Amino acid sequence: MGRYILRRLWHTIYVVVGISMIAFFFIHLSGDPVMLMLPADASTQEIEELRQKLGFNDPLYVQYWHFATKAVQGDFGESLYYHVPAMELITERLPASLELAVAAMLVAFLVAVPLGILSAVKRGSFIDLGSMLGALFGLSMPHFWLGIMLILLFSVKLGWLPTSGRGGLSHLVMPALALGMSLMAMFARLTRSVMLEVLNQDYVRTARAKGLKERIVIGKHALKNALIPLVTVAGMQFGFLIGGTVIIETVFAWPGVGRLVVQAIFNRDYPLVQATVLVLAVLFVLVNLLVDLLYVYLDPQISYLEEK
Amino acid sequence: MSHWKKFWSVIGIIALILSLFVGTATAKKDVLVVMQEAEPVGLDLMRSSIQTTMSVCYNIHDTLFAPQEDASVKPRIAESWEKVDDLTWKIHIRHGVTFHNGEPVNAQAVKFSFERAFKDSLKNPHKGKLSAFKEVKVLDDYTILITTKEPYAPGLYILGYYLPIVPPKYIAKVGDEEYNIHPIGCGPYKLEKWVRGEEIVLTRYEKYYGPKPAFKKIIFKGVPEEASRIAALLTGEADVISGVSIHQRKKILASGKAYLTNQMGVMPYLGMNTYKPPFNNVKVRRAMNYAINRQLINKALFNGKAILCPGPISPRTFGHDPTLKPYPYDPARAKKLLSEAGYPNGFETRLAYPTYMSQIQEQAEAIAADLAKVGVKVKLEPYERAVMWQRYKARKHAMYIYWWDDAPEPDRYVYSLFNSKVRDYYYKNPEVDKLLDLGRTIMDRKKRAEVYHKIDRMLYNDAPWVFLYVIPEVFGVSNKVEYHGRRDGFLDMRTAKPKP
Amino acid sequence: MIRDLIHSPTLRLWQDTFRELKRSRSAIVGGVLILLIVGTSIAFPLFYRVDPLAQDLMSRLMPPVWQSGGSWAHPLGTDNLGRDVLSRILYGSRVSLMVGFSSVLVAEIMGILLGLFSGYYGGKIDTVIMRVADIFMAYPFMLLTISVIAVLGNSILNLILVLGISDWVTYARTVRGSVLALKEKEFVRAAHSLGTRNRTILRRHIFPNILSPMLVLGTVRVANIIIWESGLSFLGMGVPPPRPTWGRMLAEGRLYITDAWWLVTLPGLAIMMTILAINLFGDGLRDALDPRLRNV
Repeated sequence: MGRYILRRLWHTIYVVVGISMIAFFFIHLSGDPVMLMLPADASTQEIEELRQKLGFNDPLYVQYWHFATKAVQGDFGESLYYHVPAMELITERLPASLELAVAAMLVAFLVAVPLGILSAVKRGSFIDLGSMLGALFGLSMPHFWLGIMLILLFSVKLGWLPTSGRGGLSHLVMPALALGMSLMAMFARLTRSVMLEVLNQDYVRTARAKGLKERIVIGKHALKNALIPLVTVAGMQFGFLIGGTVIIETVFAWPGVGRLVVQAIFNRDYPLVQATVLVLAVLFVLVNLLVDLLYVYLDPQISYLEEK
Repeated sequence: MSHWKKFWSVIGIIALILSLFVGTATAKKDVLVVMQEAEPVGLDLMRSSIQTTMSVCYNIHDTLFAPQEDASVKPRIAESWEKVDDLTWKIHIRHGVTFHNGEPVNAQAVKFSFERAFKDSLKNPHKGKLSAFKEVKVLDDYTILITTKEPYAPGLYILGYYLPIVPPKYIAKVGDEEYNIHPIGCGPYKLEKWVRGEEIVLTRYEKYYGPKPAFKKIIFKGVPEEASRIAALLTGEADVISGVSIHQRKKILASGKAYLTNQMGVMPYLGMNTYKPPFNNVKVRRAMNYAINRQLINKALFNGKAILCPGPISPRTFGHDPTLKPYPYDPARAKKLLSEAGYPNGFETRLAYPTYMSQIQEQAEAIAADLAKVGVKVKLEPYERAVMWQRYKARKHAMYIYWWDDAPEPDRYVYSLFNSKVRDYYYKNPEVDKLLDLGRTIMDRKKRAEVYHKIDRMLYNDAPWVFLYVIPEVFGVSNKVEYHGRRDGFLDMRTAKPKP
Repeated sequence: MIRDLIHSPTLRLWQDTFRELKRSRSAIVGGVLILLIVGTSIAFPLFYRVDPLAQDLMSRLMPPVWQSGGSWAHPLGTDNLGRDVLSRILYGSRVSLMVGFSSVLVAEIMGILLGLFSGYYGGKIDTVIMRVADIFMAYPFMLLTISVIAVLGNSILNLILVLGISDWVTYARTVRGSVLALKEKEFVRAAHSLGTRNRTILRRHIFPNILSPMLVLGTVRVANIIIWESGLSFLGMGVPPPRPTWGRMLAEGRLYITDAWWLVTLPGLAIMMTILAINLFGDGLRDALDPRLRNV
């Protein structure tokens, strides 16, 4: 067990270091923000001074070293645009992002898994066809389109839900639905295809042959195995749900990290971009650690303790 | 089968939860909700020149003067003033005005604010606009002398925008960074809280010296998507929204729930790099002006509501030459001019524009199509904010579209855009420079106008831009609220009131 | 006995696949649709010759022909600059399909190669590839594409490369997982014990067996990428104008969502049809390829 934990720790470290490098170099290659920070009539001398002050004239690796040594001590610098510590901006917004991500994931799972199972069990039936067509619809709708449509329907026409912003559960419904839709479609298809595979396995056949009730066969034997790939994909998608939601956040004015970081890229707000990418990466690694632990629970055959 | 049951019960639960939240819209009489395209970057007026940020700031901060639509000023913190000579104003400060924390607004505070505006570490983007001023002298607690280096006609008006009076003691205590987040001003509203990413709540400052605003609270929200802002206006979640594109107006009016205000004009312009061929030839630049069918673009994209600009000074701005007529659409003439300039078959060029500008894509595409008709093949280059600006300053654009608001005072934008001391990235004209320097020093309004007429005509002929149009932007305002927009476009909400 | 084991799941595969495909209704429907869509996108200039870039500002936002105000001059109406929507959708299909399929191809090739090596050879190669994969995986996909486009600019080629390169990890990991599982299968072990060369085993026994998850994954990804291109357009970073793409039509049409439904709905339908076709075909192919599902 100790070795396993050590290995995961090492994994986390190299992922985070790798990502910090990529983030650092990409954002620095895309040009510096000095021009944006100064008024139009700033002299070249002023520009040079600011560049010098912010350390942009040093070679990239030196800058990276400065950044890394400070980051290790928990100092990610101050946002060049907001003049506030980058970490503070992120921690303010992270709860909103997590809330939305979890809600979207929940919505997707609650609808997709039952549908997927049903479609697999009743393969070729009307339900199967219908839900798979529905899934394709879900896959082919861009987030912003769905989001605007939901607003027009539920807010403007029916007056049921608030149009935008964060607040109670009522504010969460539409963004979660709009964000969860493509996941829902993806999960439904995946559940179906995995279930089809599992249902055909020997142990399921055996279980059936033993005369076990269909519900138990599906619920206990099949589903548990089908969950493994589902959980994997969910874990991978979670990263997207936290950081990749700029469009949903824009449409619903949701105060999450996604829009913060995309704006930061547009503003060349180096410290904010670097810090956000790092935070998102750490979150991603943690979620996937959780997924790995779930594996062990779901499938006793997989054991991380006996490393080759 | 039980799965069906489970599935439907889950759906049922979701529906139930949903229904709990139906109709929770609260009645609000004292609260005004304003939705803009973005939330402020900070709340220190001396640190940002972004429209959405400044709009919130003007509710918190007051300046010496209230700028008017005819480029004159009315008293605000300054109760009265007199001209001592062409270089000096003597200003009497209103007694008994306090900052939101009780600190007195006095001559020392004005002096402090003035000096702070030039503080290097602050990087005040408005510093350039204040550069004509020399110093503030304190005569007594409520009297100051403010001097300029040379006579500066729009001086008071400029102070009315760009010199917020800030509390010296508070800033000394908390520092500039903290001040940007938790500002204390002397305006009609004070900051109650700022939940970043969500909302800014302002409460009425009960000890405000001026007329008491009608609304107790103002909530500013940033909602980037236009469709969402309009939806919020129609559902009553927002009382005032900004950034309404022209084709959405009919729908807002038809809803019967909101109306539109006249507001500032956005004046887009198409600049050309006059340092490099082909645009170093004035004939080519004029040809561009003849080749673009602005009349049709106006009719089609703006329902004819835009105002065509003859020259660089908007027809709504003081000092524009009223005898100038907009370049007509005349592709034949454009072609002729092009062949005279040595481009009988046209040429290939690039047109850059910032992607964050509203309705910009379609304007750029329409312009490119018009230019193609006279043989000028345009490659469109949509750039995000940072890249657009970097390339602009690095003189990398061939043609570019940017915009300014058409303020009533010409010095505010014509000086910034055409004086080579400020920016000479794509055009420089020593005569225009001289006239611009002269224009701001003439105190006599009529004589001053003549100088700007000259500038307008000179630039009209030299055509460093394709002069486009002023698009009157509008605010959407709920029928429950009475609010008249301002020409400068700032959402100063002190005049808003509930409709009876 | 051993020989049967070696050959049964793999060699006959390709011959069988076609036969199975012909039997699968969904594959036929999907395949015909794909042929139709791709065929149309190539051949439409033969029967519909309206310039997708020609503007007519005076007849902007004209509705489709079946609505009042529509005309046969523009069967599917016009957009905000008076351009013909039908011709833009047809023309846009070329760009969108190209971006969608090419990106997936780039990602699949990278992913399959790296995944195969990683899974089959294990050891140092595996470690290195999987570490790089871990890093890519944890880097938010969207931020990666946006930052790369911010550096390189937004041409079609850049877009394809960026989308492809940011997406290889999913394939590589899936392939690696399948390879690890296959390595333990009897027919692979048997091949090993018979002294078959690694390359041959990879080609003959492993590669065909990982195709089905790749196809399923790939079909979903083509859809994702066509949609994602519209997301990038929404952010102003998609394929630059004037060339129409379905994604950009959607992103720009949303500004007119309440005045001109056809601007967003019709390219949306085109995307939907394409995705439907690809997925139907993918499902059929999957059933045909997957040895375990054959007898179902």
